[in-house]
Amino acid sequence: MTAVIATEGLGKRYRTRWALAGCTLSIPAGHVVGLVGPNGAGKTTLLNLATGELAPTTGTIEVLGGRPAAGPAQLARVGYLAQDVPLYAGLPVADHLRLGAHLNPGWDADMARRRIERLDLDPRQKAGTLSGGQRAQLALTLATAKRPELLILDEPVASLDPLARREFLQDLMETVGERQVSVVLSSHLISDLERACDYVIVLVDSRVRVAGPVDELLATHHLLSGPRRDPASLPDQMQVVSASHTDRQSTLLVRTSGPVLDPAWAVSEVSLEDLVLAYMRQAASPAPRNDHRHLEVRK
Amino acid sequence: MIWLTWRQFRAQAITAAAALAVFAIVLAATASDLSGMYNSSGLLTCHGDACSGLASTFLNNLASGGGDFLVPGSPYAILYFLSVLVILIAPAITGIFWGAPLIARELETGTFRLTWNQSITRTRWLTVKLVLIGAAAMAVTEAFSLLQAWWAAPIGKAVGLGGGASIFSEGRFGWFVFPTHGITPLGYAAFGFALGVTAGLVIRRAIPAMAVTLAIFAAVQFITPLWIRPQLFPTSHTVTTIAAAGANVSLRANPKLAVTASTVPGQPGAWIISSEGVNAAGQPVSTIPASCEQVVSDTLGSHQGSAAGPGSAALNNCVASHGIRIAESYQPASHYWPLQWSETGMFLALALALAGYCFWRLNRRRT
Repeated sequence: MTAVIATEGLGKRYRTRWALAGCTLSIPAGHVVGLVGPNGAGKTTLLNLATGELAPTTGTIEVLGGRPAAGPAQLARVGYLAQDVPLYAGLPVADHLRLGAHLNPGWDADMARRRIERLDLDPRQKAGTLSGGQRAQLALTLATAKRPELLILDEPVASLDPLARREFLQDLMETVGERQVSVVLSSHLISDLERACDYVIVLVDSRVRVAGPVDELLATHHLLSGPRRDPASLPDQMQVVSASHTDRQSTLLVRTSGPVLDPAWAVSEVSLEDLVLAYMRQAASPAPRNDHRHLEVRK
Repeated sequence: MIWLTWRQFRAQAITAAAALAVFAIVLAATASDLSGMYNSSGLLTCHGDACSGLASTFLNNLASGGGDFLVPGSPYAILYFLSVLVILIAPAITGIFWGAPLIARELETGTFRLTWNQSITRTRWLTVKLVLIGAAAMAVTEAFSLLQAWWAAPIGKAVGLGGGASIFSEGRFGWFVFPTHGITPLGYAAFGFALGVTAGLVIRRAIPAMAVTLAIFAAVQFITPLWIRPQLFPTSHTVTTIAAAGANVSLRANPKLAVTASTVPGQPGAWIISSEGVNAAGQPVSTIPASCEQVVSDTLGSHQGSAAGPGSAALNNCVASHGIRIAESYQPASHYWPLQWSETGMFLALALALAGYCFWRLNRRRT
């Protein structure tokens, strides 16, 4: 399996603050990958490094096996929809499509035109007067009509109302289905990811907490509840993600490849949201990340 | 990329074309009257010393509102002043309104993320923008300059013949004439534009970048004739009499001696950069000979002020009688084009250096 994005010890420092530090991850091709994490986890920085907008301070990053934004060919392979959905406010919709046609050798004019028609956008309307949902749709049209192999979307639906959000994601899914394109999508709205993604990466403080196909993650994580007991006494192949205890009861989220055989436990399914939140909460415990940052600075 | 550049630049291009059209119409409408006055001034057929008198008469007529105009005052003086001013500030205007927002606006609005993620490198994006819009800035400024030069040709000729009156007394090396004629407008336009682009990239916000562009450009425009232009080409030197130099002795603070020469013998149209009094041995003289102080108090009745009026000739003669001569350093008229090329080349080189920095920064620092 080839990686669409592979990083090794990737770090980016703004003056004295590390927005991303020591990030090593590999995002497989052929998926719609959801990149989740709390604010400040480094998601946007990671994606900006992947598009070549930023240059790494430390470490390396490869996108589709090449250096980000290394040349026209590399740029043509990656479509990017930035968080603030940048469009030229003074240019009409039609001119944005013309821009795409002029700047991309692989431009699919037919597809772009059909999308605009389907979305019921007036080609003469200026981008500055479009609604948030329409802006996102137009930007997505630009990013997909260049026929990229990898589509990167940074919080594409964050500013949309629930209806527009659902329409956007549905439209994205259809486009992805037609195009066989890999997608990396960052969001902190886990419900959206559940709808759109088949692969999830939880990024907390530049670290991958968990990564894998959604199906597999859901199949291997279980919520156990039973009489209170020490999580350390669980079998070795069971990895405790989170634990909460009352006086008499313990509730554990565990990861295990095998079935849970102990009859003392009541086993229930986990939702993707609970799973992701459990991994994100792990970061709240003091992790060795501070040490790492000091090391980075000293270098 | 050429299409996008044109699409984003369209409004500014139309504005510039309109300004150029207005400029051309106003000058064209008055040009025939101006050349008619020149043709009937006798300057076409004059010989020798008679010319300078005729030229001064012609320029005086212009300055006092002659011609067929019914407007009071001096429309030619106003037109001349405004047209030179337009050429002088055109590079600043294009630098401010075309250069400074070029990158800064993209950074401010985030649209760089749109454009730089198309299948085109930033280097190519910037190359096309710099070349096309930079060429437009140079072309517009030079067009203003050529139009003005065509319109003001009679004035230039009359000044060249030794005439001078109020605003119409600057020769080709004048502070306002030199940087607005010939090829220097090309250099200034390229520099102003590149300066604006660079300021926008460094400051990342359009409005402050515009202010910085204006401040730096104005400073450069001020510094250049004072300290840079005289050094661009080796100066010539001569020592001559006070009378031959057309010099006037003046007193900054008695008994300090100061001289201002107005001509270089045998070098019509030369640009006098500095002049000072020297004694027979060639050493600079900075004080008035003691015996001339009496002349000063007799004729001027004051220890301050410059020597002008009836007393000045007596003072000039007195100083000259003590063997004090004038050392002049100057650029002869034949240095006009070498100086034009040097100054234009200097600004083009600066513009290229700034552009090179922009390319480096755009690729090296990313955003």
